[in-house]
Amino acid sequence: MPGFSLDVNNKKYTVEAEADMPLLWVLRDLLDLTGTKYGCGVASCGSCTVIMDGNAIYSCQRSVGSCVNKKIITIEGLSDDGSHPVQKAWQQAGVPQCGYCQPGQMMTAAALLGKNKRPSDEVISAEMSNNLCRCGTYQRIKEAIHIAIEDINK
Amino acid sequence: MKKETIDRRNFIKLSSLASGSLAIGFMMPGLKALALPAFECEFFQPNAYLKIDKQGKVTVFVSKQESGQGVDTALPMIVAEELDVDFRNVKAAIAPFGTIKGSEHDTGGSQSVLEMYKPLRNAGAVAKTMLIAAAANEWKVAPSTCAADNGEVVNTATMQRIKYGELVCQAALLPIPKEVTLKNPKDFKVIGRSEKRSNLTDMLTGRSKYGSDIKVADMLYAVAERCPVLDGTLISVDDTAAKRVPGVLKVVSYKGTGAPMHVRAGVAVIATNTWAAIKAKKLLNITWDEGKKNKESTEQLFKTFEAKAKAKPQIEVFNKGDITKVSGKNEITANYAQPFLAHATMEPMNFIASVKGDACELWGGLQLPDWAVNTVATETGIKKENIKLNLTLMGGAFGRRLHFDFAIEAVKIAQQIDKPVKLVWERTDDMQYSMYRPANYHQLKAGTDDTGKLISWQHHVLGTPIAYMTDGPNNKNPQEMEGADAGFCYDVPNVNTGYTPVDFNINRGWLRSVDICVNTFPVECFIDEIAAKLNKDPLAFRLSMLENRVDFKTGDRPGSLTQSPARIAAVLKMAADKAGWAQKRKPNHFIGLATHSFIFAKSYAAHALEIEMLEAKKFRIIKAVVAIDCGLVINPDGLLNQMQGGFVFGLTQALKGEITISNSRVMQDGFFSYELLRYEEMPPVEVYMIDSKEEPGGVGEVGLSTVAPALCNALAAAGNRPRTLPIRNEGFSWV
Repeated sequence: MPGFSLDVNNKKYTVEAEADMPLLWVLRDLLDLTGTKYGCGVASCGSCTVIMDGNAIYSCQRSVGSCVNKKIITIEGLSDDGSHPVQKAWQQAGVPQCGYCQPGQMMTAAALLGKNKRPSDEVISAEMSNNLCRCGTYQRIKEAIHIAIEDINK
Repeated sequence: MKKETIDRRNFIKLSSLASGSLAIGFMMPGLKALALPAFECEFFQPNAYLKIDKQGKVTVFVSKQESGQGVDTALPMIVAEELDVDFRNVKAAIAPFGTIKGSEHDTGGSQSVLEMYKPLRNAGAVAKTMLIAAAANEWKVAPSTCAADNGEVVNTATMQRIKYGELVCQAALLPIPKEVTLKNPKDFKVIGRSEKRSNLTDMLTGRSKYGSDIKVADMLYAVAERCPVLDGTLISVDDTAAKRVPGVLKVVSYKGTGAPMHVRAGVAVIATNTWAAIKAKKLLNITWDEGKKNKESTEQLFKTFEAKAKAKPQIEVFNKGDITKVSGKNEITANYAQPFLAHATMEPMNFIASVKGDACELWGGLQLPDWAVNTVATETGIKKENIKLNLTLMGGAFGRRLHFDFAIEAVKIAQQIDKPVKLVWERTDDMQYSMYRPANYHQLKAGTDDTGKLISWQHHVLGTPIAYMTDGPNNKNPQEMEGADAGFCYDVPNVNTGYTPVDFNINRGWLRSVDICVNTFPVECFIDEIAAKLNKDPLAFRLSMLENRVDFKTGDRPGSLTQSPARIAAVLKMAADKAGWAQKRKPNHFIGLATHSFIFAKSYAAHALEIEMLEAKKFRIIKAVVAIDCGLVINPDGLLNQMQGGFVFGLTQALKGEITISNSRVMQDGFFSYELLRYEEMPPVEVYMIDSKEEPGGVGEVGLSTVAPALCNALAAAGNRPRTLPIRNEGFSWV
């Protein structure tokens, strides 16, 4: 199998995988970074969202071959201890129920706030509508994003 | 593995009979801990629910399965209350399967708090009493002169204090008291105050391990192709191309099962990673025998419902007064329909099985683990005592994981390879091979007298019963009538309700709120229709049949449930009031109301939805108001989260939830075709709680059943009443 050099959470990895293996399964099965979740495999739910070169991407849609020389951040690398403003905001708002979709939700929010420190409600809505939550925590996600915005603009 | 399991079970049996000192080794497999003198103990564990270590750290073992409903917080809060410790010092852990009675792990019906409130208070009080006794011994005073306070025992005469952690080894030597005094609820410090989820940091850092995240040594991955028609069989499989995919190790097939789980016949690809298995699955060339029932469709099913609705119900369920004497008088009739629904948990089904010889070890999330283990034993020939189950966190359940078809599949696959296998369901599998909430149809008739009083109520429910799947089609009483049976809450003198089962070749199962959701929609819409016909205010009309009605039993048996019309009325009034029911509405604004009780869980909820009509059939939800009475609230923030989430679940069903069947196959294959509510569609929700001193009820399911009827009642007030869910099918759209 071919080998690929990856930069995940500021660490260098070399993985042996078929070139078409989605980043999602590389993270979960090969690198043991199971914080990134499988939800659909077809870019419909956002559970697998990670940040690549500053942008939120569906890791189920990126083959490992297309991830070389990219900077990838997963939920495990958002902070060491849950101290990223988005994680703190999620903590304060008490967002999760089952929690399964929340890494993806937080990665989408973190990517957005990384590029735009004061996004409008319309922009937030458009971005966050890429991520599904079956438990229905949207109201708290909204609250958390506004807490994070206040925090990063202090 | 076998030996260890048996040793542990024997050990627990021993410790439950013996004193606290024996229980020190509770969590340690084997007998080694028993040989330790008590003063060298590591922790104190007087029962299966909690332990305290020498640093005073408390671990509560949660017997109910966490899937987002917050039992990992509410249940430890109950223990912390009686134990008198700071909740921040309490860690929640999954109670290992086998350490308590199997059925105590059962998680469903919103029963966790109801069932565990007393046992957990007792468990906490037992530990506290023993710690107090240990301190009293130390000080050589009577225990009655000592008190517990925030993780310490206080000598009330001298005001000396000892930390719990310093007492654990002495407490462990004491006999377990048979009776303990529980706190007066007015002294509660933990119960009733909002707490964040106990495992929140793990959830927010990606450290939480759901079933699908578990890895065991040498584990392989499997993905399966299943017979597209329920109860079909495999004829042949050509796996030549599939086996060429790098990483694929083996292709195995397995037979389906009958009741209770109706596992479909399948072919599984086993590989070194999930992706290889997914790729190879697409290359399988399988011929199935679909059986004779491969032409069924929901289109035909609803025609059958409609035809049969005109006849008398096959099963009479509830009769009061004499409907025949008053029927036909000022009659109002309406029919309602609701589709099959899928649970669509964000974490697709998954399960790990490792079979070695005649024993196996399992990992995964299950709501009914005891039944699952029993059935796995029956279906695979592995003896129950040789099955070790490790329970995990679930990424959503909503009733889907009450079913354990995936666990049986995983064992059938693992029996054919010498390494542990994690079976992963793809989203398409989850959508197409679920246990669907039954499709249902309702015919309602009401009669009023000349003064405008409602004097008769007839409700004929038609459905595809779950019991035909779990018990088989010979079940003689498969009624799905909660909400339309003896618990029917409105005070009407003549009532007749009944059920007609229609079999259909798709698997059915329990979905959050089950029958209550099925029947609350037609009942609460029809009440509004009658009020409209009589030119009565829908709120006043409901209250006139609820407020003055005393609580009543729904049957003669000792366990029969009690219905409380007054509490149903109180939440309705609160929701209407907070939504501004009595105030003048803005132009094109309309409010719809609905109320109900989730009778099993002693909880009552009402919704008031305010909408603004933008076009004839296009609307915006301005806000949703929920009023909830669940008795004493353990964790107000947890309740709030459940009500907010329940609203989303209910609104999704009302707007767009629908599974359709053609040629006995599910037509939806994922979130593009089975759409869930998205962030941009979320209206503001306000939650109001009734301040109650009643015993605590359950809240996982009470928050959704009144959403669809409240919305439909608002739309009816605006001029167009939908009677079929999802309302999208009747041409409604929303922003």
